[in-house]
Amino acid sequence: MNTSRSKVLRTIRWVSWGLIAVLSTVLAVLWAQVRFSTEAEAKPYATPFQLTDQNGATVTERELLGKPSAWFYGFTHCPDVCPTALAEMAQVLKELGPEADKLRVVFVSVDPARDTPAILKDYVAYFDERIVALTGEERQLQQMTKARYIFYKKVGDGDSYEMDHTAGIQLVRADGRFFGTLDSHENADVKLQKVRRLIGE
Amino acid sequence: MRILITALLLLLPTSVLAHEFKAGSLLIDHPKIVETPPGAKVAAGYLTVVNSGEGEDRLLAIESTTISRVEMHASTITDGVARMKQLESGLPIPAGKSASLGDEGTHAMFMDLTRQLKAGEKIEAVLAFEKAGRVPVVFNVEKRSAQKVERHEHQ
Ligand SMILES: [Cu+2]
Repeated sequence: MNTSRSKVLRTIRWVSWGLIAVLSTVLAVLWAQVRFSTEAEAKPYATPFQLTDQNGATVTERELLGKPSAWFYGFTHCPDVCPTALAEMAQVLKELGPEADKLRVVFVSVDPARDTPAILKDYVAYFDERIVALTGEERQLQQMTKARYIFYKKVGDGDSYEMDHTAGIQLVRADGRFFGTLDSHENADVKLQKVRRLIGE
Repeated sequence: MRILITALLLLLPTSVLAHEFKAGSLLIDHPKIVETPPGAKVAAGYLTVVNSGEGEDRLLAIESTTISRVEMHASTITDGVARMKQLESGLPIPAGKSASLGDEGTHAMFMDLTRQLKAGEKIEAVLAFEKAGRVPVVFNVEKRSAQKVERHEHQ
């Protein structure tokens, strides 16, 4: 009698532990799914900002969504890295031919104190007139770059300061989701392939 | 055939032909400045110095009467961030070797430009070496070449 009762109890205990194990597995899977989908749906380029383009027009995140885009953050007092990136993007636009309509190229100056819309207009037009140049209030720039994990920082003071800044070109999907980067050490063909994949999605 | 080759050579842009300056055992090869976009206040210059002598020399400074401020810098990209710093001790030119502004992101930085520098222009400058002294040179302003990237990644 006693033995059969303890047998039943033991069975109940095993079943309970089993149920707990199954339940926690289910919960873990659900949690992972929720977490994963939030990450996949993150749209850093859809977060609000308000800046000015090279023609003096106000531009918000809305105007720059709707088609894939390539973004570069820099400043015009930059002798090599920034003009090289812009020249590369101009080259990409040229090689895309009519397909270039499917891509927006944006240059954000993180040096609004020196880079006025008028200066930016001539500067980007030299590379390609289709490039959108943005700058604006420091506060807006900080808010925008923070949401996008873009780094920049003023170094030195007076007239001859420099800007440290993220060097890669950021590729972005039409809805504001991050697609990938074009790294400075990649050759032109690899960059073009990545852009083609972005606009072909 | 010889006439054809001569004709082809004549058609070559001047930048392909030798553009060099000598000072003792130093040979300064092809100083150039990349054409600037309008509105840009800075330009990057590059050159190579070949030292066929027995002792090390050092490029200490670059001066120009046309451009008021010239410095020597190194641009680096570390962890995805572009930075620029001065070459505090100039550019060492080891004995029997060559060194370039253009290696490892180094460049001559022409600053405070008051106008666009266009391809075809020639900018006079003086290179100040520790031992070879002051050497007048001419920087050729050239179009940016799409393929050649004058910078390097540092990990
Ligand atoms: Cu520099």
